[in-house]
Amino acid sequence: MYEGVNASEGIGIGTVVVAVEPDLSFDPHAVEDVDAEKARYQAALDVFCEKTNAQAERMKVTVGENEAEIMSGHIMLAQDPGLVDGINSAIDGGMCAEQALVETSTMFENMFLSMDDEMFRLRASDIADIRTGILAELLGREVVDLSALPAGSIIVVHDLTPSMTATIDKENVAGIVTEVGGRTSHSAIIARALEIPAVLSVSNACGALHNGMTAIVDGINGHVLSEPDEETLADYKERAEAFAAEKRALDAFRGKPTVTADGDKKVLACNIGNPEDAKGAVDHDCEAIGLFRSEFLFMDAKELPSEEEQFDAYRSVATTLKGAPVIIRTLDVGGDKEIPYMNLQKEENPFMGYRAVRYCLDNPDEYKVQLRALLRASAFGDIKIMVPLVTCVEELRQVKALVEECKDELRTEGYKFNEDIEVGIMMETAAAANIADILAEEAAFFSIGTNDLTGYTMASDRGNDKVAYLYSWYYPAVLRAIKNIIVNGVKQGIMVGMCGEAAADPLLTPLLLSWGMEEFSVSAPSVLKTRKAISQWTKADADVLEEKVMQLKTAEEVKAALEEAAR
Amino acid sequence: MVSEKVTLVNPQGLHMRPAGLFASTMGKYSCNVTVVTPEKEVNGKSPMALMAAGIPCGTEVEVRCDGADETDALAAAIELIKSGLGE
Repeated sequence: MYEGVNASEGIGIGTVVVAVEPDLSFDPHAVEDVDAEKARYQAALDVFCEKTNAQAERMKVTVGENEAEIMSGHIMLAQDPGLVDGINSAIDGGMCAEQALVETSTMFENMFLSMDDEMFRLRASDIADIRTGILAELLGREVVDLSALPAGSIIVVHDLTPSMTATIDKENVAGIVTEVGGRTSHSAIIARALEIPAVLSVSNACGALHNGMTAIVDGINGHVLSEPDEETLADYKERAEAFAAEKRALDAFRGKPTVTADGDKKVLACNIGNPEDAKGAVDHDCEAIGLFRSEFLFMDAKELPSEEEQFDAYRSVATTLKGAPVIIRTLDVGGDKEIPYMNLQKEENPFMGYRAVRYCLDNPDEYKVQLRALLRASAFGDIKIMVPLVTCVEELRQVKALVEECKDELRTEGYKFNEDIEVGIMMETAAAANIADILAEEAAFFSIGTNDLTGYTMASDRGNDKVAYLYSWYYPAVLRAIKNIIVNGVKQGIMVGMCGEAAADPLLTPLLLSWGMEEFSVSAPSVLKTRKAISQWTKADADVLEEKVMQLKTAEEVKAALEEAAR
Repeated sequence: MVSEKVTLVNPQGLHMRPAGLFASTMGKYSCNVTVVTPEKEVNGKSPMALMAAGIPCGTEVEVRCDGADETDALAAAIELIKSGLGE
């Protein structure tokens, strides 16, 4: 068995086809007719761009718009004035077109490779890819063509470049194995878009696997098996079918509204950590953003991010969601999240200390920068402000007073914003759960943060092995806290959602539905799973189970009862 | 030749999309466009050169335009960078 990076989920079983890259060697030679050599390069470049453009058009249909953009990006890079000028001056210096291309492009490639940023390193592989394409044109050789593979092929290749992927016919490809690349490389992105199982970074795959071998690509665990015995093959065939069946079952929920078995409409939202994630969340079919953690803006920075920087990030998410609700949690600093430039003192007990809304209210000038940015971004979508770690109504009142101050300032300065922007609470402390009735009168919405709520209610740190067994939302103490929050929110007529991990636990779904929760905010891969879980229950069935479960006394009994009733 | 200093505000620095937008906008002008950072000078019409310069968010750069339509080009460049290069 070979191990690699699980880059695209699924299990593929098929016959190995090792893609041999073309021989692009050439003899560097001096050039006398410089203009003719430049014209020769230009001609090769034109043909390359024409072919790439045709590939991009084809990919728009076979793969998707976003992936096709990678190819359009190649045309832009190939025609880049910096690259073209560099090549022309190398030819002026007497080099042949091939050598001029290799030297100039390698210089840029190395510059990108030396950077810390993964995005830039991706550009290096783009440059290598266009170099191969143009060089093949100059030398009149064929590049790897994956368009005519027999059905059930497992492609084994050193690196699956975007231009190779453009030729793939996904009907005939059962799996992909490469020697390089990670989860964010182009090959991974495209394999996922094509829904072909892929395992990347398998060292020496091209040497170890040969044409005609039977191979299994387990894109779930990142394993590749060659020439499996009967038993293993049967086992993986079963797994492949189970995976496909589950996927079909979930796919039936794609693009569908989130409704209970008796037709009650719910909202399925996503939790995200940065503006880039918003696109992925929409691709995973979410209907809103239930939690945008704003910390990334602060943690990746060297100093407090300016109002403009924050505004750009919030606006970008609001625009991506096209008017659907976006709940943004204000800075949740402290506790386990340290931000160097804020000079927070080390505390004996940071989870009970100076953090989140406590820090923000103590530093109103810093907090107002964020609130102003949120207000300004609210002109571009349905942004809602969520305050973390609230323990008393005084904190909510103070935040709302600051929001009003910011509104006054922005009005005077002539900025547009949503006058009725909602300010709600992330319900994550035992205190907030206890006074949910009081808070519901003044908060615009509740979103239950079950991760901290479970920890604070059970006084248990899940990172501590010795006490982690107490960290479970099946304990009656946690369930009662959740129930109190939802029931009191519903009574006041405010929106109640949940953005903790418990929202994606299908065992809890009937309880949450029975109490009347409206919004489920989960990580992107859990969207369809959660929509399916919600569709399985009527209010009446959920109520029957709730009544039974809430009389139980131990977490073990609760979990067993929920498992027995699971759908 | 005209020039002006401006600070790069888009959070991820000059990666492909913003560099492409800047270079293609500058490509509409006939004058030479150079972006100067404390370390280097790069061709403002080349997305690749701009990206390869690896200019992070918060860097102050100087944009130099030299040619017939230099005033218009400079104004467009500054406006574009200030607006976050489409991000």
